[in-house]
Amino acid sequence: MNRLAESIEKFKWLIIIAVIGLTVFFSYEAKDLHINSDIISSLPDDDPAARLYKEIGTQFGGNDMGMIVLETDDVFKAEVIQHIKQITDSIKYTNGVSTVTSLTNILDIKSSEWGIEIGKLVDEYDLPVEQSQLDSLKNYVFSKEMYRGAVVSEDGTATAIMFTLLPEGDKQAVAKEIKDKIEALDLPETTYFGGLPMMMNDINNLIISDMVWLIPIVFIVIAIILLLSFKSFRGVLLPLLTAGLAVIWTIGLMTVTGYELTIISNIIPVVLLAVGSAYTIHVLNSINHYKLADRKKALIQSLGYIMVPVILAAVTTAIGFVSFVFGAYLTMIKDFGIFTAVGTLIALMLSLFFVPALISGLSMYSKKNVIENKEKQTILTHKILLPLVNFLFKHPKYTLTGWGVLLMLCIGGITLIKTSVNMADYFKKDNPTRVAEDVMQKKFGGSLPVFIVFEGDMQSPEVLKMMISTEDFMKEDPNIQVTQSVADLIEQMNDAMGEGKKIPDDKAKIEQLWFLLDGQEVMPQLVNNDLSKGIIQSKFASVDSKELEVFTAKMNRFIEDNPNEHCKIELTGMPSVYVKLNSSLINSQYNSLLIAIIMVVLIVGLILRSGTKGIFAAIPVVATIIVLFGFMGITGIPLDIATVLVASIALGIGIDYSIHVITGFNKHLITHGDAEKAIEETILLSGKAVIINVISVSAGFLVLLFSQIVPLQNFGILVAISMFGSGIGALTLLPIILILANRKRKIIANNH
Amino acid sequence: MKSRFQTAVITAIIVAGGVFSANAQDASTILKKMDDVMYSPKDMIGNNKIILIDKNGKEETREATVQQKGNDKRMFRFTSPASQAGISVLSLPNDVMYLYLPAFGKERRIATSAKNQNFAGTDFSYDDMESVLFSVKYTPKLVKTEDNVFVLELTPVGGKSDYSKVMVQVNKTDYYPELMEYYDKGNTKVKEAKYTFKKIGNYWNAAEIEMTDLKKNHKTKMQMSDVKYDMGLTDDDFTVRKLKQ
Repeated sequence: MNRLAESIEKFKWLIIIAVIGLTVFFSYEAKDLHINSDIISSLPDDDPAARLYKEIGTQFGGNDMGMIVLETDDVFKAEVIQHIKQITDSIKYTNGVSTVTSLTNILDIKSSEWGIEIGKLVDEYDLPVEQSQLDSLKNYVFSKEMYRGAVVSEDGTATAIMFTLLPEGDKQAVAKEIKDKIEALDLPETTYFGGLPMMMNDINNLIISDMVWLIPIVFIVIAIILLLSFKSFRGVLLPLLTAGLAVIWTIGLMTVTGYELTIISNIIPVVLLAVGSAYTIHVLNSINHYKLADRKKALIQSLGYIMVPVILAAVTTAIGFVSFVFGAYLTMIKDFGIFTAVGTLIALMLSLFFVPALISGLSMYSKKNVIENKEKQTILTHKILLPLVNFLFKHPKYTLTGWGVLLMLCIGGITLIKTSVNMADYFKKDNPTRVAEDVMQKKFGGSLPVFIVFEGDMQSPEVLKMMISTEDFMKEDPNIQVTQSVADLIEQMNDAMGEGKKIPDDKAKIEQLWFLLDGQEVMPQLVNNDLSKGIIQSKFASVDSKELEVFTAKMNRFIEDNPNEHCKIELTGMPSVYVKLNSSLINSQYNSLLIAIIMVVLIVGLILRSGTKGIFAAIPVVATIIVLFGFMGITGIPLDIATVLVASIALGIGIDYSIHVITGFNKHLITHGDAEKAIEETILLSGKAVIINVISVSAGFLVLLFSQIVPLQNFGILVAISMFGSGIGALTLLPIILILANRKRKIIANNH
Repeated sequence: MKSRFQTAVITAIIVAGGVFSANAQDASTILKKMDDVMYSPKDMIGNNKIILIDKNGKEETREATVQQKGNDKRMFRFTSPASQAGISVLSLPNDVMYLYLPAFGKERRIATSAKNQNFAGTDFSYDDMESVLFSVKYTPKLVKTEDNVFVLELTPVGGKSDYSKVMVQVNKTDYYPELMEYYDKGNTKVKEAKYTFKKIGNYWNAAEIEMTDLKKNHKTKMQMSDVKYDMGLTDDDFTVRKLKQ
């Protein structure tokens, strides 16, 4: 280790130049980083339901569907109809829009005894003005299943304007243009913007706003904490510098390797600033400690001493992050895991190589003397740590019972844990997208798309009849209001030909009815070009995990129960994806936690050269994780795409405190030979480092409370709680275990 | 004296008016001449081939025989593909249309007030297919004169059109249209029709119209062959009874 430390000293200028060069390179690259607000793109390709959903959504345009809701007391008023037309026109004449459907331009097919009338529901060049016209329009709209609850809400107070976007082109930019245009109309009715393109636009803004606001806040918060604990310019500058460089390198690396910023990875800077500054703090502490006359020698010696513990701390943290790679369902979470782990290791390398090189190169040695440091320590030690030691020795049973009760309570709390996969829950309650989603759900049967895919000859009577019976079955579910398929249109046309609302038995008839449907705007949303694939489109009204699960299970059973040689039937859509996401949340929680625990125990055991100590080190952290889950269950913070990450991160960071205490204990045990004395020394000395680290890391993560994205807020709170938990665990639970283990060993030794 | 003065004033006004409206006159004349070229035959029969080309270049072909009398009576009979053979469409004045589906053995009247809907999967809307004189539907303005063509800007008469304007290039010597560009109300070019005219007997015939929907990147070619004019078709050839044969 000392030889490596000497080389660092020797090649300091090379290191400094290399760091500057790489920083310039990565900053230059980082400017090209793209934001990916398309959550759908994060669905994994190895899950058949998700892959099919992406495929179908793209092929039939369902993922590019936006919806604008106009809410007022009564839709059937002359001026409201006029405003609907205004909105319809301004969307229609926006580049990148493929189709628009609204009350004022929707196609209406009427059949009568003499024939078929293909027209518009409303003549857009002669909008209804008279009360009698408006009344008859209202009656007609409510009499037809395809309009009621789809174009106008059941209560007549809201109307939906739906649009689809062209597949090529910047969807999010088009969505923004539409939103701006409609807001500029300044209509008296309330407007809501929904659907994926609109949501993407919103997410994009949230990501940018989080980046812009959170990074400066976390910088300031950490700077204040560093200033309070080091009271020196160097102590503030160097940790922030290395963490800041780690952020730049990581973002640059993401850009170079072709990754994008997502709703999750936008917190990488916050996480790295909170976590990454710690390694430099350790290095600085060590350098401060070794104050020899020969500064160079002191630097080398202190580096040699600190290298192993810092590497250990960083590697365990990185393991916590990397553990998601094996368990997560969404690709964006895997990406987050990989790049935060990489960033952590970058911060480690910079702390070990760049910081000493910089100190030596620029002669940034601390000017303060050691005595002052000792003076400061006493405040913390006398007020908190000494009473703690006394309490631990006087009442070890209280401490154990206290933890026991807490853990029992929390195990009870774990049973209450809920999961949340609903994307609308990512937004704050007053966020326009969230409000819009609520309105869509209340007035228009939700916005979760459901697709049933039929692969076969779309003109065959058997396939079309199968579609109709599937639709009938779907509509038995209270959460399904409207279904749409080409089979419905064929039934309507058959009716128009005077042969009743049913699918003809004769394929030739279907082929000829098709002649009437060819070229209708809705057709590409229902069947593919060569008529080998068709879909039933519907929406599911609930986001309740249970109801989603029941529905998908029921539909899959229906498909299994109705095998036929004419077509292959598959269910997909957001309910299927949510159900998968939900079960994967729990699975990935188990997997990543298990991997992280095993890896951490192994590595700690290996470094401390004792399997038992590896397990001891894990005890406070595992207890903390139980408390964490209990807290989530009791407070109702759900397990979601962000909070699922907390346990492994808590493990990775929290284990450091245990390592501190155990290594301290080992050292003092050798010098004192008495376990209780060693514990006292350890708590008094390592206690300070642990407490400062807990506070700085927690404060960094608590900055996420200012995030616009709800799961990230919860993530911040939970990590902070876990830091406190594992810090307190390492200073109370662990010492007692160490005392008890030592007593036992003594007893065994005495018996022999 | 007085009458002579009056005459002078009136003459001046007429002359002045003539000068001011010369441009407009020209544009209307050009458009009327174009209408004459397009709609002068008394009747016509021929074979029509409709080729639909999607954005991937995939083609689909339909064939039909066409009979037309004047501007407003037309009978389309599809002959291929086999599944559509026998389907016939009869268009009569005042937006009356009858459709015959042989698989059902019956006809239905179709009223289409939605003229911006596309006709049978092509890129032609019912509006584009309508044989109403251009000079009736549009007010022309001569934008410029190029080597071979007059460029007219047509504005729809009355507000009831999906187009804000149609730019037409009219052949200078023979007055048939060469290119029509359709603009939506956002003033974006949405469709484009390229015409190829051939002289058959005394008449100019649109041997091919290639309509491109620029938004969907979809194309329709309508090709005419075996065209014969003035065959003496009567109103009896355009009845529901004839439709079913």
